[in-house]
Amino acid sequence: MPELPPDVTLDEVKERARLAGLPIPLERLSLVRGFLSNALKPIRALDSRAVRTVEPAVIFHAEVDAKGGAESGS
Amino acid sequence: MSADELCYAGIRELGGLFRRRELGPVDYATDLLRRIETLDKTLNAYVTVTAERALADARAAETALARGDAGPLTGIPIAYKDLYATRGIRTTAGSALLADWVPDADCTCVARLQRAGMVMLGKLITHEFAFGIQFPGHRFPPARNPWNLDHIPGGSSSGSGAALAAGLTVGSLGSDTGGSIRGPAAFCGIAGLKPTYGRVSRAGVVTLSWTLDHTGPMARSAEDCAFMLQALAGHDPADPASARQPVADYLANLEGGVKGLRVGVVRDYFFEQVEPETVAAFERAVGELGRLGATVRDVTIPSMHAAPSFMVILLAEAFAYHERDLRERPELYGPVLREKLMAGGLFRADEYVQAQRLRSQIREDTARTLQAVDVLVTPTALGPAPPFRVVLDPDFPFAKSNMGPFNVTGLPTLALPTGFSTTGLPLSFQISGRPFDEATVLRVGHAYQRATDWHRRRPPVRA
Repeated sequence: MPELPPDVTLDEVKERARLAGLPIPLERLSLVRGFLSNALKPIRALDSRAVRTVEPAVIFHAEVDAKGGAESGS
Repeated sequence: MSADELCYAGIRELGGLFRRRELGPVDYATDLLRRIETLDKTLNAYVTVTAERALADARAAETALARGDAGPLTGIPIAYKDLYATRGIRTTAGSALLADWVPDADCTCVARLQRAGMVMLGKLITHEFAFGIQFPGHRFPPARNPWNLDHIPGGSSSGSGAALAAGLTVGSLGSDTGGSIRGPAAFCGIAGLKPTYGRVSRAGVVTLSWTLDHTGPMARSAEDCAFMLQALAGHDPADPASARQPVADYLANLEGGVKGLRVGVVRDYFFEQVEPETVAAFERAVGELGRLGATVRDVTIPSMHAAPSFMVILLAEAFAYHERDLRERPELYGPVLREKLMAGGLFRADEYVQAQRLRSQIREDTARTLQAVDVLVTPTALGPAPPFRVVLDPDFPFAKSNMGPFNVTGLPTLALPTGFSTTGLPLSFQISGRPFDEATVLRVGHAYQRATDWHRRRPPVRA
Protein backbone atom coordinates (compact mmCIF):
# COMPACT_ATOMS: atom_id res chain seq x y z
CA MET A 1 0.00 0.00 0.00
CA PRO A 2 1.51 3.39 -0.94
CA GLU A 3 2.35 5.86 1.81
CA LEU A 4 -0.02 8.83 2.23
CA PRO A 5 1.34 12.32 1.55
CA PRO A 6 1.60 14.51 4.69
CA ASP A 7 -1.00 16.97 3.41
CA VAL A 8 -4.58 16.29 2.41
CA THR A 9 -5.27 17.34 -1.19
CA LEU A 10 -8.41 19.05 -2.51
CA ASP A 11 -9.18 15.96 -4.61
CA GLU A 12 -9.00 13.83 -1.48
CA VAL A 13 -11.42 16.15 0.34
CA LYS A 14 -13.85 15.94 -2.59
CA GLU A 15 -13.62 12.16 -2.63
CA ARG A 16 -14.13 11.89 1.14
CA ALA A 17 -17.15 14.23 0.95
CA ARG A 18 -18.62 12.15 -1.88
CA LEU A 19 -18.21 8.93 0.07
CA ALA A 20 -19.73 10.48 3.20
CA GLY A 21 -22.64 11.96 1.22
CA LEU A 22 -21.88 15.44 2.54
CA PRO A 23 -22.49 18.37 0.20
CA ILE A 24 -19.59 20.69 0.94
CA PRO A 25 -19.77 23.85 -1.23
CA LEU A 26 -16.85 24.33 -3.60
CA GLU A 27 -15.90 27.65 -2.01
CA ARG A 28 -15.44 25.94 1.36
CA LEU A 29 -13.39 22.99 0.17
CA SER A 30 -10.04 24.63 0.79
CA LEU A 31 -11.13 25.59 4.33
CA VAL A 32 -12.11 21.98 5.02
CA ARG A 33 -8.86 20.79 3.48
CA GLY A 34 -7.04 23.01 6.00
CA PHE A 35 -8.92 21.47 8.95
CA LEU A 36 -8.21 17.95 7.76
CA SER A 37 -4.55 18.62 6.94
CA ASN A 38 -3.74 20.16 10.32
CA ALA A 39 -5.54 17.51 12.30
CA LEU A 40 -4.16 14.58 10.31
CA LYS A 41 -0.55 15.72 10.09
CA PRO A 42 0.51 14.05 13.38
CA ILE A 43 -1.43 10.93 12.46
CA ARG A 44 0.18 10.65 9.05
CA ALA A 45 3.57 11.10 10.70
CA LEU A 46 2.80 8.30 13.16
CA ASP A 47 4.31 4.85 12.96
CA SER A 48 1.22 3.02 14.12
CA ARG A 49 3.35 0.05 15.19
CA ALA A 50 5.19 2.20 17.72
CA VAL A 51 2.15 3.40 19.67
CA ARG A 52 0.33 1.38 22.28
CA THR A 53 -3.30 0.48 21.75
CA VAL A 54 -5.92 2.61 23.42
CA GLU A 55 -6.77 1.78 27.03
CA PRO A 56 -9.65 -0.66 27.57
CA ALA A 57 -13.00 0.77 26.57
CA VAL A 58 -14.65 -0.80 29.61
CA ILE A 59 -13.31 -0.41 33.12
CA PHE A 60 -15.03 -2.28 35.93
CA HIS A 61 -14.91 -1.07 39.50
CA ALA A 62 -15.78 -3.96 41.80
CA GLU A 63 -17.39 -1.82 44.51
CA VAL A 64 -19.49 0.30 42.20
CA ASP A 65 -20.48 -2.41 39.75
CA ALA A 66 -21.53 -4.76 42.52
CA LYS A 67 -24.16 -2.16 43.44
CA GLY A 68 -25.34 -1.95 39.83
CA GLY A 69 -23.77 1.47 39.21
CA ALA A 70 -21.43 2.39 36.41
CA GLU A 71 -18.34 4.50 36.51
CA SER A 72 -15.99 5.37 33.74
CA GLY A 73 -12.35 6.20 34.23
CA SER A 74 -11.48 9.82 34.56
CA MET B 1 -16.64 52.35 47.29
CA SER B 2 -18.03 53.87 44.07
CA ALA B 3 -20.74 52.10 42.07
CA ASP B 4 -18.18 51.43 39.34
CA GLU B 5 -15.82 49.79 41.85
CA LEU B 6 -18.61 47.82 43.48
CA CYS B 7 -19.59 46.13 40.23
CA TYR B 8 -16.06 44.68 40.12
CA ALA B 9 -16.07 43.42 43.73
CA GLY B 10 -15.07 39.83 44.44
CA ILE B 11 -17.10 37.09 46.14
CA ARG B 12 -15.33 37.33 49.52
CA GLU B 13 -15.74 41.11 49.63
CA LEU B 14 -19.41 41.01 48.61
CA GLY B 15 -20.17 38.25 51.11
CA GLY B 16 -18.70 40.43 53.87
CA LEU B 17 -20.76 43.44 52.78
CA PHE B 18 -23.92 41.30 52.70
CA ARG B 19 -23.33 39.75 56.12
CA ARG B 20 -22.53 43.09 57.74
CA ARG B 21 -25.72 44.54 56.18
CA GLU B 22 -23.69 47.22 54.41
CA LEU B 23 -25.16 46.13 51.10
CA GLY B 24 -28.21 44.03 50.23
CA PRO B 25 -28.39 41.43 47.43
CA VAL B 26 -31.54 43.08 46.02
CA ASP B 27 -29.88 46.51 45.74
CA TYR B 28 -26.75 44.95 44.30
CA ALA B 29 -28.65 42.88 41.72
CA THR B 30 -30.68 45.98 40.80
CA ASP B 31 -27.47 47.98 40.21
CA LEU B 32 -26.01 45.24 38.01
CA LEU B 33 -29.25 44.91 36.02
CA ARG B 34 -29.15 48.66 35.41
CA ARG B 35 -25.52 48.41 34.31
CA ILE B 36 -26.39 45.56 31.94
CA GLU B 37 -29.20 47.63 30.45
CA THR B 38 -26.79 50.49 29.76
CA LEU B 39 -23.65 48.70 28.63
CA ASP B 40 -24.89 45.53 27.00
CA LYS B 41 -26.49 47.41 24.11
CA THR B 42 -22.93 47.69 22.84
CA LEU B 43 -21.32 44.55 24.24
CA ASN B 44 -24.01 41.93 23.35
CA ALA B 45 -22.84 39.66 26.18
CA TYR B 46 -26.36 38.68 27.25
CA VAL B 47 -28.83 36.70 25.15
CA THR B 48 -31.47 36.78 27.86
CA VAL B 49 -31.62 38.97 30.96
CA THR B 50 -33.70 37.34 33.70
CA ALA B 51 -34.43 40.46 35.75
CA GLU B 52 -37.47 39.12 37.59
CA ARG B 53 -35.70 35.90 38.40
CA ALA B 54 -32.66 37.84 39.62
CA LEU B 55 -34.72 39.92 42.01
CA ALA B 56 -36.58 36.84 43.30
CA ASP B 57 -33.26 35.05 43.90
CA ALA B 58 -31.89 38.17 45.60
CA ARG B 59 -34.91 38.41 47.90
CA ALA B 60 -34.46 34.73 48.82
CA ALA B 61 -30.78 35.51 49.56
CA GLU B 62 -31.79 38.37 51.85
CA THR B 63 -34.09 36.00 53.73
CA ALA B 64 -31.26 33.48 54.11
CA LEU B 65 -28.91 36.22 55.32
CA ALA B 66 -31.50 37.40 57.83
CA ARG B 67 -31.91 33.81 59.07
CA GLY B 68 -28.16 33.56 59.47
CA ASP B 69 -27.81 30.49 57.24
CA ALA B 70 -26.10 32.12 54.28
CA GLY B 71 -23.18 30.42 52.53
CA PRO B 72 -20.28 32.12 50.74
CA LEU B 73 -22.23 32.32 47.46
CA THR B 74 -25.51 33.59 48.91
CA GLY B 75 -26.64 36.67 47.03
CA ILE B 76 -23.71 36.61 44.57
CA PRO B 77 -24.84 37.37 41.00
CA ILE B 78 -24.12 34.85 38.26
CA ALA B 79 -24.89 34.54 34.56
CA TYR B 80 -24.71 31.27 32.64
CA LYS B 81 -23.28 30.52 29.24
CA ASP B 82 -26.31 29.84 27.06
CA LEU B 83 -25.22 26.24 26.63
CA TYR B 84 -26.36 25.38 30.18
CA ALA B 85 -29.99 24.23 30.39
CA THR B 86 -32.11 26.47 32.60
CA ARG B 87 -35.63 25.47 33.59
CA GLY B 88 -38.25 27.70 31.99
CA ILE B 89 -35.60 29.97 30.43
CA ARG B 90 -34.67 29.57 26.77
CA THR B 91 -31.31 27.99 26.12
CA THR B 92 -30.15 28.72 22.60
CA ALA B 93 -26.57 27.40 22.40
CA GLY B 94 -26.08 30.57 20.32
CA SER B 95 -27.85 28.81 17.47
CA ALA B 96 -30.88 29.27 15.26
CA LEU B 97 -31.56 25.55 15.70
CA LEU B 98 -32.24 25.93 19.44
CA ALA B 99 -33.34 29.57 19.37
CA ASP B 100 -36.69 28.76 20.99
CA TRP B 101 -35.73 25.80 23.22
CA VAL B 102 -37.02 26.17 26.76
CA PRO B 103 -35.69 23.31 28.93
CA ASP B 104 -37.94 21.79 31.57
CA ALA B 105 -35.09 21.22 34.03
CA ASP B 106 -31.93 22.97 35.20
CA CYS B 107 -28.65 21.29 34.34
CA THR B 108 -26.67 20.01 37.33
CA CYS B 109 -24.27 22.98 37.51
CA VAL B 110 -27.07 25.54 37.51
CA ALA B 111 -29.00 23.55 40.11
CA ARG B 112 -25.91 23.43 42.37
CA LEU B 113 -25.11 27.14 42.14
CA GLN B 114 -28.72 28.18 42.59
CA ARG B 115 -28.93 25.88 45.62
CA ALA B 116 -25.84 27.67 46.96
CA GLY B 117 -27.83 30.91 46.86
CA MET B 118 -26.51 32.58 43.71
CA VAL B 119 -28.60 35.18 41.92
CA MET B 120 -29.28 34.44 38.24
CA LEU B 121 -28.89 37.57 36.11
CA GLY B 122 -29.40 35.82 32.79
CA LYS B 123 -27.88 33.81 29.95
CA LEU B 124 -24.72 34.77 28.09
CA ILE B 125 -24.07 34.41 24.38
CA THR B 126 -21.89 31.54 23.25
CA HIS B 127 -20.35 31.01 19.86
CA GLU B 128 -22.84 28.90 17.90
CA PHE B 129 -22.91 25.41 19.44
CA ALA B 130 -19.69 26.38 21.26
CA PHE B 131 -17.82 26.11 17.96
CA GLY B 132 -18.93 28.56 15.28
CA ILE B 133 -18.59 32.31 15.09
CA GLN B 134 -21.60 34.57 14.61
CA PHE B 135 -21.11 35.95 11.13
CA PRO B 136 -23.08 39.09 10.14
CA GLY B 137 -26.74 38.18 9.68
CA HIS B 138 -26.67 35.45 12.34
CA ARG B 139 -29.72 35.08 14.59
CA PHE B 140 -27.65 36.40 17.51
CA PRO B 141 -25.05 39.19 17.31
CA PRO B 142 -21.57 38.35 18.63
CA ALA B 143 -20.34 39.64 21.99
CA ARG B 144 -17.63 42.30 21.77
CA ASN B 145 -14.46 42.69 23.77
CA PRO B 146 -14.82 45.44 26.44
CA TRP B 147 -11.12 46.27 26.06
CA ASN B 148 -11.62 47.12 22.40
CA LEU B 149 -14.99 46.72 20.73
CA ASP B 150 -13.40 45.94 17.36
CA HIS B 151 -11.83 42.80 18.80
CA ILE B 152 -13.40 39.45 19.65
CA PRO B 153 -13.77 38.50 23.32
CA GLY B 154 -12.65 34.96 22.47
CA GLY B 155 -14.88 31.94 22.39
CA SER B 156 -16.82 30.01 22.69
CA SER B 157 -17.73 31.41 26.15
CA SER B 158 -17.67 34.86 24.58
CA GLY B 159 -20.51 36.42 26.57
CA SER B 160 -19.03 35.14 29.83
CA GLY B 161 -15.65 36.76 29.10
CA ALA B 162 -17.18 40.07 28.00
CA ALA B 163 -19.68 40.28 30.88
CA LEU B 164 -17.05 39.60 33.54
CA ALA B 165 -14.57 42.09 32.10
CA ALA B 166 -17.24 44.79 31.91
CA GLY B 167 -18.55 44.22 35.44
CA LEU B 168 -21.90 42.87 34.22
CA THR B 169 -21.79 39.83 36.52
CA VAL B 170 -19.62 38.52 39.36
CA GLY B 171 -19.46 34.90 38.31
CA SER B 172 -20.13 32.86 35.21
CA LEU B 173 -19.90 29.35 33.87
CA GLY B 174 -18.16 28.44 30.65
CA SER B 175 -17.51 25.23 28.78
CA ASP B 176 -14.14 24.21 27.41
CA THR B 177 -13.60 21.64 24.64
CA GLY B 178 -10.47 23.13 23.11
CA GLY B 179 -10.03 26.26 25.22
CA SER B 180 -13.47 27.88 25.38
CA ILE B 181 -13.13 28.87 29.05
CA ARG B 182 -9.46 29.85 28.89
CA GLY B 183 -9.55 31.65 25.53
CA PRO B 184 -12.15 34.25 26.57
CA ALA B 185 -10.40 34.52 29.95
CA ALA B 186 -7.15 35.32 28.13
CA PHE B 187 -8.68 37.79 25.68
CA CYS B 188 -10.80 39.61 28.29
CA GLY B 189 -8.28 39.76 31.16
CA ILE B 190 -10.22 37.56 33.57
CA ALA B 191 -9.80 34.14 35.25
CA GLY B 192 -11.09 30.87 33.81
CA LEU B 193 -10.71 27.40 35.29
CA LYS B 194 -11.06 24.24 33.26
CA PRO B 195 -11.26 21.62 36.01
CA THR B 196 -10.13 18.00 35.71
CA TYR B 197 -12.21 15.92 33.28
CA GLY B 198 -14.98 14.43 35.42
CA ARG B 199 -14.68 16.95 38.27
CA VAL B 200 -17.66 19.14 37.30
CA SER B 201 -20.82 17.71 35.75
CA ARG B 202 -21.71 18.29 32.11
CA ALA B 203 -25.22 16.87 32.45
CA GLY B 204 -27.68 19.24 30.81
CA VAL B 205 -24.99 21.21 28.98
CA VAL B 206 -25.20 21.03 25.17
CA THR B 207 -22.49 18.67 23.90
CA LEU B 208 -19.73 19.54 21.48
CA SER B 209 -17.28 16.64 21.84
CA TRP B 210 -17.97 14.47 24.85
CA THR B 211 -14.49 13.10 25.46
CA LEU B 212 -13.06 16.65 25.43
CA ASP B 213 -15.92 18.72 26.91
CA HIS B 214 -15.36 20.28 30.33
CA THR B 215 -17.48 22.69 32.35
CA GLY B 216 -16.09 25.18 34.84
CA PRO B 217 -16.15 28.58 36.51
CA MET B 218 -15.15 31.92 35.04
CA ALA B 219 -14.63 34.93 37.30
CA ARG B 220 -12.29 37.87 37.82
CA SER B 221 -9.88 36.07 40.14
CA ALA B 222 -8.53 32.65 41.04
CA GLU B 223 -10.13 33.06 44.46
CA ASP B 224 -13.59 33.58 42.98
CA CYS B 225 -13.08 30.49 40.79
CA ALA B 226 -12.25 28.55 43.98
CA PHE B 227 -15.46 29.69 45.66
CA MET B 228 -17.53 28.59 42.69
CA LEU B 229 -15.69 25.31 42.14
CA GLN B 230 -16.41 24.38 45.77
CA ALA B 231 -20.13 24.44 45.03
CA LEU B 232 -19.85 22.85 41.57
CA ALA B 233 -17.51 19.89 42.17
CA GLY B 234 -18.69 16.43 43.05
CA HIS B 235 -20.06 13.26 41.54
CA ASP B 236 -23.15 13.46 39.34
CA PRO B 237 -24.69 10.17 38.20
CA ALA B 238 -26.31 12.03 35.29
CA ASP B 239 -22.88 12.58 33.66
CA PRO B 240 -21.29 9.27 32.62
CA ALA B 241 -17.79 10.79 32.91
CA SER B 242 -18.38 12.22 36.37
CA ALA B 243 -15.70 11.16 38.85
CA ARG B 244 -16.25 9.79 42.34
CA GLN B 245 -13.02 11.33 43.59
CA PRO B 246 -13.61 13.16 46.91
CA VAL B 247 -13.92 16.93 46.62
CA ALA B 248 -11.03 18.88 48.16
CA ASP B 249 -11.40 22.06 50.20
CA TYR B 250 -10.30 24.59 47.59
CA LEU B 251 -10.24 27.52 49.98
CA ALA B 252 -8.49 25.93 52.97
CA ASN B 253 -4.97 26.33 51.65
CA LEU B 254 -5.56 29.06 49.08
CA GLU B 255 -3.34 31.45 51.03
CA GLY B 256 -0.58 28.83 51.32
CA GLY B 257 1.72 30.51 48.79
CA VAL B 258 4.15 28.86 46.41
CA LYS B 259 7.29 28.61 48.52
CA GLY B 260 9.03 25.34 47.65
CA LEU B 261 6.54 24.47 44.94
CA ARG B 262 8.05 23.07 41.72
CA VAL B 263 6.91 24.89 38.57
CA GLY B 264 7.68 23.40 35.14
CA VAL B 265 7.79 25.57 32.02
CA VAL B 266 6.97 23.47 28.95
CA ARG B 267 9.25 25.03 26.33
CA ASP B 268 8.57 22.72 23.39
CA TYR B 269 5.37 23.18 21.35
CA PHE B 270 3.82 25.88 23.59
CA PHE B 271 6.10 28.70 22.40
CA GLU B 272 5.77 28.05 18.68
CA GLN B 273 4.02 30.96 16.89
CA VAL B 274 3.58 32.84 20.20
CA GLU B 275 3.94 36.61 19.81
CA PRO B 276 6.95 38.25 21.53
CA GLU B 277 4.79 40.44 23.83
CA THR B 278 2.96 37.36 25.10
CA VAL B 279 6.26 35.58 25.71
CA ALA B 280 7.67 38.60 27.55
CA ALA B 281 4.59 38.85 29.80
CA PHE B 282 4.79 35.10 30.42
CA GLU B 283 8.45 35.32 31.44
CA ARG B 284 7.64 38.14 33.86
CA ALA B 285 4.84 36.03 35.38
CA VAL B 286 7.14 33.04 35.79
CA GLY B 287 9.78 35.35 37.29
CA GLU B 288 7.19 36.51 39.79
CA LEU B 289 6.45 32.92 40.82
CA GLY B 290 10.20 32.47 41.34
CA ARG B 291 10.40 35.60 43.49
CA LEU B 292 7.51 34.24 45.56
CA GLY B 293 9.58 31.16 46.37
CA ALA B 294 8.69 28.61 43.70
CA THR B 295 11.41 26.57 42.03
CA VAL B 296 11.07 27.12 38.29
CA ARG B 297 12.62 24.88 35.66
CA ASP B 298 12.11 23.92 32.04
CA VAL B 299 10.51 20.56 31.26
CA THR B 300 9.67 18.69 28.07
CA ILE B 301 6.73 16.58 26.99
CA PRO B 302 8.03 14.62 23.98
CA SER B 303 4.71 13.71 22.34
CA MET B 304 3.16 17.18 22.67
CA HIS B 305 3.83 17.94 19.00
CA ALA B 306 1.10 15.43 18.18
CA ALA B 307 -1.44 17.54 20.08
CA PRO B 308 -3.12 19.04 16.96
CA SER B 309 -4.52 15.56 16.30
CA PHE B 310 -7.06 16.32 19.03
CA MET B 311 -9.04 18.12 16.31
CA VAL B 312 -9.75 14.72 14.73
CA ILE B 313 -11.46 13.69 17.96
CA LEU B 314 -13.27 17.01 18.41
CA LEU B 315 -14.53 17.24 14.83
CA ALA B 316 -15.53 13.57 14.56
CA GLU B 317 -17.46 13.62 17.83
CA ALA B 318 -19.10 16.97 16.99
CA PHE B 319 -20.21 15.55 13.64
CA ALA B 320 -21.58 12.43 15.35
CA TYR B 321 -23.62 14.65 17.67
CA HIS B 322 -24.94 16.95 14.92
CA GLU B 323 -25.19 14.57 11.96
CA ARG B 324 -28.96 14.18 11.80
CA ASP B 325 -29.61 17.95 11.97
CA LEU B 326 -26.78 18.69 9.54
CA ARG B 327 -28.31 16.39 6.95
CA GLU B 328 -31.95 17.36 7.55
CA ARG B 329 -31.76 21.08 8.42
CA PRO B 330 -28.37 22.38 7.27
CA GLU B 331 -29.83 25.85 6.66
CA LEU B 332 -30.20 26.29 10.43
CA TYR B 333 -26.43 26.23 10.93
CA GLY B 334 -24.36 29.35 10.43
CA PRO B 335 -21.96 29.59 7.50
CA VAL B 336 -18.57 28.00 8.10
CA LEU B 337 -19.79 26.20 11.27
CA ARG B 338 -21.77 23.91 8.97
CA GLU B 339 -18.65 23.04 6.99
CA LYS B 340 -16.53 22.79 10.12
CA LEU B 341 -18.95 20.19 11.48
CA MET B 342 -19.14 18.40 8.13
CA ALA B 343 -15.35 18.16 8.12
CA GLY B 344 -15.77 15.84 11.09
CA GLY B 345 -17.73 13.45 8.88
CA LEU B 346 -14.78 13.09 6.52
CA PHE B 347 -12.42 11.28 8.87
CA ARG B 348 -11.96 7.53 8.59
CA ALA B 349 -12.51 5.25 11.57
CA ASP B 350 -8.81 4.38 11.78
CA GLU B 351 -7.89 8.09 11.94
CA TYR B 352 -10.15 8.63 14.96
CA VAL B 353 -8.61 5.56 16.62
CA GLN B 354 -5.06 6.76 15.92
CA ALA B 355 -5.93 10.15 17.39
CA GLN B 356 -7.10 8.44 20.57
CA ARG B 357 -3.86 6.42 20.68
CA LEU B 358 -1.83 9.62 20.36
CA ARG B 359 -3.97 11.11 23.08
CA SER B 360 -3.03 8.24 25.41
CA GLN B 361 0.63 8.84 24.66
CA ILE B 362 0.34 12.59 25.37
CA ARG B 363 -1.50 11.84 28.62
CA GLU B 364 1.18 9.39 29.73
CA ASP B 365 4.06 11.72 28.85
CA THR B 366 2.39 14.66 30.62
CA ALA B 367 1.68 12.55 33.72
CA ARG B 368 5.34 11.52 33.80
CA THR B 369 6.43 15.17 33.59
CA LEU B 370 4.08 16.03 36.45
CA GLN B 371 5.91 13.53 38.69
CA ALA B 372 8.91 15.85 38.67
CA VAL B 373 7.06 19.16 39.08
CA ASP B 374 3.86 20.23 40.84
CA VAL B 375 2.40 22.42 38.11
CA LEU B 376 3.07 23.27 34.48
CA VAL B 377 2.90 26.82 33.13
CA THR B 378 2.46 27.86 29.50
CA PRO B 379 1.16 30.87 27.54
CA THR B 380 -2.63 30.54 27.17
CA ALA B 381 -3.02 32.08 23.73
CA LEU B 382 -0.59 32.92 20.97
CA GLY B 383 -1.28 36.65 21.29
CA PRO B 384 -3.98 39.12 22.30
CA ALA B 385 -7.55 39.05 20.95
CA PRO B 386 -7.65 39.39 17.15
CA PRO B 387 -10.01 41.90 15.51
CA PHE B 388 -13.37 40.81 14.09
CA ARG B 389 -12.24 41.70 10.57
CA VAL B 390 -9.65 38.91 10.76
CA VAL B 391 -11.78 36.13 12.25
CA LEU B 392 -14.81 36.93 10.11
CA ASP B 393 -12.87 35.98 7.01
CA PRO B 394 -14.57 32.70 6.02
CA ASP B 395 -11.14 31.25 5.25
CA PHE B 396 -9.73 32.10 8.69
CA PRO B 397 -8.13 28.81 9.73
CA PHE B 398 -7.98 27.14 13.12
CA ALA B 399 -5.05 28.73 14.88
CA LYS B 400 -2.52 26.49 16.60
CA SER B 401 -3.87 25.88 20.11
CA ASN B 402 -1.99 25.99 23.40
CA MET B 403 -5.20 25.09 25.22
CA GLY B 404 -6.27 21.91 23.42
CA PRO B 405 -3.47 19.80 24.97
CA PHE B 406 -5.13 20.19 28.37
CA ASN B 407 -8.47 18.99 27.01
CA VAL B 408 -6.62 16.00 25.57
CA THR B 409 -5.01 15.26 28.94
CA GLY B 410 -8.03 16.32 31.01
CA LEU B 411 -5.77 18.14 33.48
CA PRO B 412 -7.03 21.06 35.58
CA THR B 413 -5.89 24.34 34.02
CA LEU B 414 -6.38 27.92 35.13
CA ALA B 415 -5.92 30.93 32.84
CA LEU B 416 -4.97 34.26 34.43
CA PRO B 417 -3.98 37.70 33.09
CA THR B 418 -0.25 38.50 32.87
CA GLY B 419 -0.30 42.02 31.46
CA PHE B 420 -1.25 43.95 28.35
CA SER B 421 -0.12 44.29 24.77
CA THR B 422 1.06 47.65 23.47
CA THR B 423 -2.41 47.90 21.90
CA GLY B 424 -4.01 47.68 25.36
CA LEU B 425 -5.34 44.14 25.11
CA PRO B 426 -4.96 41.53 27.90
CA LEU B 427 -2.35 38.74 27.83
CA SER B 428 -2.51 35.51 29.79
CA PHE B 429 -0.77 32.40 31.06
CA GLN B 430 -2.17 29.05 32.13
CA ILE B 431 -1.32 26.91 35.16
CA SER B 432 -1.96 23.17 34.88
CA GLY B 433 -1.84 20.58 37.64
CA ARG B 434 -2.20 16.90 38.34
CA PRO B 435 -5.61 15.23 37.99
CA PHE B 436 -8.00 16.50 40.69
CA ASP B 437 -5.37 18.83 42.11
CA GLU B 438 -7.32 22.01 41.42
CA ALA B 439 -6.38 23.12 44.95
CA THR B 440 -2.70 23.52 44.01
CA VAL B 441 -3.50 25.16 40.67
CA LEU B 442 -5.75 27.69 42.41
CA ARG B 443 -3.21 28.26 45.16
CA VAL B 444 -0.51 29.13 42.62
CA GLY B 445 -2.94 31.40 40.78
CA HIS B 446 -4.03 33.15 43.95
CA ALA B 447 -0.44 33.70 45.08
CA TYR B 448 0.35 35.24 41.69
CA GLN B 449 -2.68 37.50 41.84
CA ARG B 450 -1.84 38.67 45.37
CA ALA B 451 1.51 39.82 44.00
CA THR B 452 0.22 41.43 40.79
CA ASP B 453 -2.64 43.71 39.85
CA TRP B 454 -3.39 42.77 36.24
CA HIS B 455 -6.75 41.34 37.31
CA ARG B 456 -7.65 44.69 38.91
CA ARG B 457 -7.27 46.70 35.68
CA ARG B 458 -10.60 47.71 34.14
CA PRO B 459 -11.58 48.17 30.49
CA PRO B 460 -12.69 51.59 29.20
CA VAL B 461 -16.43 51.06 29.64
CA ARG B 462 -18.55 53.34 31.84
CA ALA B 463 -22.19 53.01 32.80
